[in-house]
Amino acid sequence: MLGYVATRSVYALAVVFGVSIAVFFLIRIGGDPSALFLAPEASLEEIVRFRHQMGFDRPILLQYVDFLSRAVRGDFGLSLRYDQPAMQLVLERMPATLALSAAALGISLLISVPLAILAASYRGSLIDRIGLLISLVGQSFPTFWLAIMLILIFSERLHWLPPSGGGSWQNLIMPALALAAYSTAIITRLLRSSMIEVLQSDYIRTARGKGVSNAGIVLKHALRNAAIPTLTVVGLQVGALLGGAVITEEIFAYPGIGRLAIQAIDNRDFTVVQAFVFLTAVLIVGINLTVDLCYGLLDPRLRKR
Amino acid sequence: MSTPVLEIRNLKTYFASDRGEVRAVDGVSLHVDAGETLGVVGESGSGKSVTSLSVMRLIASPPGRYADGEILFEGRDILKLDKAAMRDLRGNRLSMIFQEPMTSLNPVFTVGAQIAEAIMLHQHLPRPAAFARAIDMLRLVNIPAPERRAHEFPHQLSGGMRQRVMIAMALSCNPKLLIADEPTTALDVTIQAQILDLMRRLRAELGMAIMLITHDLGIVAEMCDRVVVMYGGRIVEEADVISLFDNPLHPYSEGLLASIPRIDEDVEQLYAIEGSVPDPADRSEGCAFAPRCRYAFERCRSETPVLSPIADGRKAACFLAGERLTRPAVEQVLS
Repeated sequence: MLGYVATRSVYALAVVFGVSIAVFFLIRIGGDPSALFLAPEASLEEIVRFRHQMGFDRPILLQYVDFLSRAVRGDFGLSLRYDQPAMQLVLERMPATLALSAAALGISLLISVPLAILAASYRGSLIDRIGLLISLVGQSFPTFWLAIMLILIFSERLHWLPPSGGGSWQNLIMPALALAAYSTAIITRLLRSSMIEVLQSDYIRTARGKGVSNAGIVLKHALRNAAIPTLTVVGLQVGALLGGAVITEEIFAYPGIGRLAIQAIDNRDFTVVQAFVFLTAVLIVGINLTVDLCYGLLDPRLRKR
Repeated sequence: MSTPVLEIRNLKTYFASDRGEVRAVDGVSLHVDAGETLGVVGESGSGKSVTSLSVMRLIASPPGRYADGEILFEGRDILKLDKAAMRDLRGNRLSMIFQEPMTSLNPVFTVGAQIAEAIMLHQHLPRPAAFARAIDMLRLVNIPAPERRAHEFPHQLSGGMRQRVMIAMALSCNPKLLIADEPTTALDVTIQAQILDLMRRLRAELGMAIMLITHDLGIVAEMCDRVVVMYGGRIVEEADVISLFDNPLHPYSEGLLASIPRIDEDVEQLYAIEGSVPDPADRSEGCAFAPRCRYAFERCRSETPVLSPIADGRKAACFLAGERLTRPAVEQVLS
């Protein structure tokens, strides 16, 4: 098990290293980054001074080493707009986004897991059809459309929930629902089909042959096995939730990192964009690592590697 | 004669399919006495496995249904039991070993926990006591280092070991009847011999009856007291092992026996029964074996022979069975 953890962690570090390269070269792809930072009417003298000040006149490898050594300490430079450390700005908005993603994930799991179990156990029944309908709807309606519909119904029409802003649990409900729809659909469909497959396997027949009750068959023997392929998708969905938060936060004017990133792009505040991309990437790598480790817990066959 | 542990009367298990109803088991009657081993033989598709799964009531419904008949286990018709009462029987007084040891154990639980589960369910022991009993069971089926093995997962065990685990699980609550559905088919011959030895030993030690489903007549000769031969969802012959091997009354049994390769004879080509098992969805008049039978005549194609007593303890569903009983030895007929 320890070897498994070590291998996975090394892979994760390698990915983070790759991300650092991508983030660094992101703003250098289009040539000299000074053009991005300075106003178009800046004089040659100003450009030269800025290039020297930012170190853009040094060899590129040296610049990267410098960037990396500061990045590992969390230093991405100052935000050009707010004059504050870029990473600090992103981190300040992080809790709001984490709360949104966690709420969305919670909602999808609370709906999809019981729904998938019931649908698979009573295949072809009314509950199975409802499950299929929910996954069809959740998968085909775009998040922004759902978000707007939610605002129209619950804010404009019913006045139950605030249409925008952050800071209270009421502000969390609609963005979380809009964000959860897609993951709910995906997880329901996948868990349902894995459950159906597992329920037909030989070891389920063995369990029935032992006299295990239906509930025991489904919840103990089948669910744990069906959870293994589903876990991959749940992990990927957590990443997608973080990414999807960008649009959802913008629609609901929710003060998370996604909204900050969009504003930073508008303002050409590239240090903030770099900090945002890097942090999000590290988070997603961290989630994937957690998923990999959970595999080992769920599936004993993976432990001896 | 003792009262049978299991008595099946005119069992009919049908399956719904796109091509109409498939009569997988079509009027099977048999009995297994206490402490006895009954062999059920036949080709794939003859209805052996469906018969055994019917006794466990493990036929999925739909598409399957028990169209008719009774399955009396210790005198009670289990087809009339409710689900809870049936669960009480399964893995307890009535248990089963399945064909595929590689896939019949749950990959995410230790083998000890899987054996202990049945013990906890039926003997209501607390987990530690059940686990200790599971280790005893592993020792009983000759698994070396049972304390360590009990904590291992199925993928850490070989096929033969897994089948031993399956046997340990099936026997953990001292069943009165063990149904073994091709218990050694997936294993190589040396392991096969070990598993059969083990089953013989445990039968003697625990005094249970065994219903052994197999297509391997060698196993029947080694293990069984009596045999029923199934063909096309019906029993075509029933006899004690010695009589059957000595003089098979049904031409199908004769063909099965002739198909066994013999070590003392050098032949160019092994014998095989021509043709294949009839399509179970197709039910035409006459004996189901007639199209493949070398002795078939007019009557066989228009009238279905019923299983009837031919001699003491012998039954056959063949119009020629009576005269075949008194004929010269089989070898002469076949050569």
